[in-house]
Amino acid sequence: MRRFWILKYLLIVSILLIVSNISEAAKGDKEAGKKIYERRCAWCHGWNGAGDGPAADFLNPRPRDFTSGIYKYKTSNLDNPFPYEDDLYKMIAEGMPGTSMPFWKDVLSSNDIWNLIAYIKSLAGLEGEPAAKINYGKQVSSSADSIKKGKELFIDRCSECHGDEGKGDAMKKLKDDWVGNRLWPRNLTKPWMFRAGSDPKDIYSRISTGISGTPMPAFDDPASKKKLTEEDKWHVVNYVTSIKNEARRIKDGDTVIKAKRLTGDMPKDANDEKWKDVESTAYPLVGQIIAKERFFTPSVEEITLKAVYNDKEIAFLLEWDDRTKSIPGDAKAQELADGELNEDAVAIQLPVTIPEGMEKPYFGMGDSGHPVNVWQWKSGTAKAEQSIKVMDATGFKNIKARDKADVTAKGEYNKGTWKVMMKRPLKTDNKDDIQFEEGKFTPIAFATWDGTNGEKGSKHTITTWYWILLKPPTGSMVFIWPIFVAGIVLGAEILIARSAQKK
Amino acid sequence: MKITSLSLGALGALVVYIALRLSKGFALASIADVYILFMIAALLIYIPAGDKGKKGSLLVLGTLIFFILLELVRPLIPRSLLNVYNFFILVTVLLYFTSKDEGARDLMAPIKATLVGSENRTFRTALFAVVPLFAALITFNIVRPSYEAPGDTRSIHPAPPSSVNVFNKSYNLLTLKNPLRDDAANYAKYVKEGGEVYFKNCFYCHGDKLDGKGHYYHGVNPKPLPFMGTDTIAQLSESFVFWRVATGGPGLPKEGAPWLSAMPIWEHFLTEEEVWKVSMFIYDYSGNKPRTF
Ligand code: HEC
Ligand code: HEC
Ligand code: HEC
Repeated sequence: MRRFWILKYLLIVSILLIVSNISEAAKGDKEAGKKIYERRCAWCHGWNGAGDGPAADFLNPRPRDFTSGIYKYKTSNLDNPFPYEDDLYKMIAEGMPGTSMPFWKDVLSSNDIWNLIAYIKSLAGLEGEPAAKINYGKQVSSSADSIKKGKELFIDRCSECHGDEGKGDAMKKLKDDWVGNRLWPRNLTKPWMFRAGSDPKDIYSRISTGISGTPMPAFDDPASKKKLTEEDKWHVVNYVTSIKNEARRIKDGDTVIKAKRLTGDMPKDANDEKWKDVESTAYPLVGQIIAKERFFTPSVEEITLKAVYNDKEIAFLLEWDDRTKSIPGDAKAQELADGELNEDAVAIQLPVTIPEGMEKPYFGMGDSGHPVNVWQWKSGTAKAEQSIKVMDATGFKNIKARDKADVTAKGEYNKGTWKVMMKRPLKTDNKDDIQFEEGKFTPIAFATWDGTNGEKGSKHTITTWYWILLKPPTGSMVFIWPIFVAGIVLGAEILIARSAQKK
Repeated sequence: MKITSLSLGALGALVVYIALRLSKGFALASIADVYILFMIAALLIYIPAGDKGKKGSLLVLGTLIFFILLELVRPLIPRSLLNVYNFFILVTVLLYFTSKDEGARDLMAPIKATLVGSENRTFRTALFAVVPLFAALITFNIVRPSYEAPGDTRSIHPAPPSSVNVFNKSYNLLTLKNPLRDDAANYAKYVKEGGEVYFKNCFYCHGDKLDGKGHYYHGVNPKPLPFMGTDTIAQLSESFVFWRVATGGPGLPKEGAPWLSAMPIWEHFLTEEEVWKVSMFIYDYSGNKPRTF
């Protein structure tokens, strides 16, 4: 009898274990999650989770509305509209690059995050886990052949939104399903801005099930004529990973634009071969939120710069990815705009006097004691040509445009990228102009306007002060000195050895 | 422990040090580098000499220990002064060892042996080749043009003025208190309202987590300050915060480089009450208390 008692005991214990394991499946405690949510998340995602917190109106993309139960990023297959808890965990822990959604793993424990997940799922009554994952098939490794196939498929399936070269510049006006907010298709040449990871498997997941709540379709959809096979999807992935543009990536600490000295003529335009081997530098652009009217939702993320000079002139090449060529008066361009359509524009800001010490003009258009020059190029309208304007400014409110500009500028738009070249003599006889000097660190700042995105006047992007340096050619002395010193040291060595051997 | 194994260890450490510096992209150019190269060369000569090289090894080891001790207190002493110290130590030790003829001979013997003996030929050639090469490298690093941007030496928390004119009023910062804190019954309400101000105006820069890393963080320089931790607002009185928020970057005195700070002039966007509320929020959220002394 005793033995049976032990068996029964074991049975009960194992049943208890199984039961407790089942309740383990819902990993978090939603009441605990609610507390963390109200402290950390409600400011954006709203007190009731409807994506309408105090910050929401200042953000694009808007914070997710958790009451809708729709999530953009998931690895469950097409039959399962909701994400795995692991998917949500990743978004919360790692954050979403290119949006205001921060990563939380530094301040929240994994327990906290599971509790949050339980809470936000409960806001839409979501329970349990999806039944099946995306089918990843057999990964095709990248090769020239696979990339070529992928490119063809890309042009057919993706370019209507992501553009011929993947810069998100296609001619379509896209909105989200929640409040009809403007959506910009991702610029696929900057994978570090992908929200949910840029590993091949991440991109494969996005292609398979699309992005819920947005027009990005699911290419696993059997009902669609555009359905892709597993192999095809891997080819597209290989193409997408091959178009990364490293020149656009911002390198921390890279604060100096080094203008290259040319011996002959200056480049003729933005596409001149002479620009090819000039070092480029990329700087982040952020919304102008310093002075009225502020601007919170820019569409352009960074600007890439090159500069050259010769005895007489200096030229800048400004390049930035802008999804739309904004030409007021053009019917097609107007269709893409939200409300009023303005010109695209770009500007360079320079101090009138190159500072000797630390003191510079205020980075937002100078100040009363420290005037700045602003060179602003505009893309033109259906009726008017492109234009360049030189302005003298001593603060936001004190900007005077000159009648005549001693700067020339010409821009070209191609497949989602503006390239604008600006040129000026190194020296002028206007006392209000900056006079460039070789070898001197000179502050420089930039601004852009995307006319289709409602940017105009004070609504635009800005950078902080960086530097431009007219880099003097490296003289031969840099190499002669070391050889000279090495020679002297060797001579001394031999002398010492000689005298030692004599003794 | 025997002197040879000690100096072998020292030699290894010096080589590792140089390798580490080079791998981190540091150019070999400082006087300390030259000094260390000399120590390596000296150890290379004294170690193979065995017992005869004892004095020389001791000399290098002694200076090395001083060198390390000085490196340890380096944050306290400027680099240039350290170099002078090092130089004097070297000279003193040399003088001590060579004060007697016999001492000098002991020091010189291994050097001579390296320079003269035919059995040391390969080593000698290698040493003779390497030393000028290093000299060339160091010279190159010194004469090479540097494109490093001039640094900014701005003060993060400059002394506040004694009074400030904002919201069409003059405030005495020495006595200014947050009036809302007297209304303890409404504390939670004010904090929440301050949070709304924060998440409409400040989080782009100072961050959703109040860690100074909002999504505009990478676009401004100097970087927005964090409010978490005990280095910033925990060290400040609330009148200081009021002054910094109301007058923004341009309100800084010169030593704070007002021309660089992207911190907006909040007097233009917020009411006086909103500034006090947002101040209460950042203290409450970060668990800090305003300084009251
Ligand atoms: C500063 C505002 C902000 C805060 C604070 C914030 N989020 Fe978000 N969150 C966003 C934005 C914006 C998005 C949408 C990004 C997009 O659509 O690309 C988002 C999206 C999400 C998503 C959806 C991911 C998907 O696949 O659709 C989850 C889950 C999420 N946030 C959870 C949280 C949690 C949990 C917290 C608190 C710990 C939090 N967020 C705090 C702004 C914020
Ligand atoms: C109907 C328009 C449309 C089509 C067609 C489309 N996309 Fe997208 N795609 C979008 C939009 C819009 C977004 C941005 C969604 C957002 O940010 O909410 C996006 C985002 C993406 C992302 C970014 C995911 C992330 O983590 O940030 C990738 C990768 C992508 N698409 C790849 C593709 C590929 C590959 C194809 C073709 C097989 C394709 N898309 C077809 C509209 C589209
Ligand atoms: C455009 C970016 C930006 C915005 C928006 C911004 N700040 Fe700042 N803030 C900064 C920068 C940069 C600094 C550091 C330089 C300085 O002290 O001016 C700073 C400094 C501060 C300081 C000084 C902290 C210290 O330790 O000295 C306080 C307090 C502060 N900000 C509060 C706020 C509040 C409150 C808001 C919203 C009402 C806000 N900031 C909005 C950029 C910003």
